[in-house]
Amino acid sequence: MNTVAVVEDNADNRLLLQAILDGLYDVVEYENGVDALAGLAAQLPDLVLLDISLPGMDGNEILARIRADDQLKRLPVIALTAHAMAGDREKYLAAGFNDYITKPIVDESLLLRAMEKWIEAGRDGTL
Amino acid sequence: MIEPNDADVPTTDPAALERLKRFGGGKLLSEMISLFVTAAPDRIAAARAGVAAGDVSAAEMALHSLKSSSAQLGAMQMQRLSERGEHIAHTGSLEGVGQIVQDLEEEFPRVQDWLERARNVETP
Repeated sequence: MNTVAVVEDNADNRLLLQAILDGLYDVVEYENGVDALAGLAAQLPDLVLLDISLPGMDGNEILARIRADDQLKRLPVIALTAHAMAGDREKYLAAGFNDYITKPIVDESLLLRAMEKWIEAGRDGTL
Repeated sequence: MIEPNDADVPTTDPAALERLKRFGGGKLLSEMISLFVTAAPDRIAAARAGVAAGDVSAAEMALHSLKSSSAQLGAMQMQRLSERGEHIAHTGSLEGVGQIVQDLEEEFPRVQDWLERARNVETP
């Protein structure tokens, strides 16, 4: 089973993602950027679901550090955010996220399809 | 289901609760409700404290979290209020945010009541 790292500070969102991903992926959870960066390096997942709005180091900064790290830079990373404002998608993709999913999660198949697509791209080296 | 108390827009969305059941059954619904009724007052209090201290980013972050979890739980009026406050704070202002926080404080007990009843239907 593929492993997905979830970086999310809110317990309700972590619980929700656990329920959606249950049985499909092994889920490793991090509540903040410092723990996430240390954990990702120690146990490289197949994909990262990264919340943008985190206390301390936010999702954009975590992504920048992932992309600047030789070991982590090829990881597929999907932004999870409740900021749905016009132009956000382009902004996040330009920043180096592979994809962008908005909260609340209404249609879980969108998330699952995006995850599958990027895990496959990561495996094929076509990222 | 509560009748909307704002004549034209619904304050709560039962479809959100059905969705949570689809994701993880009555167990997930019940757990999500528990987390929400515990966390929402803390987030409202954090937004209140941010307004009192003139800390725009603290208020914005608290309202952002509240917007996200309210939306997932179908608390539509709370979602709208939080979003309005978040947008004001995002521009660097707290003007009117105190009133929005007060509206949230008044709306939360109604949402809590609605959610508790939904949970009791699930786990009598």
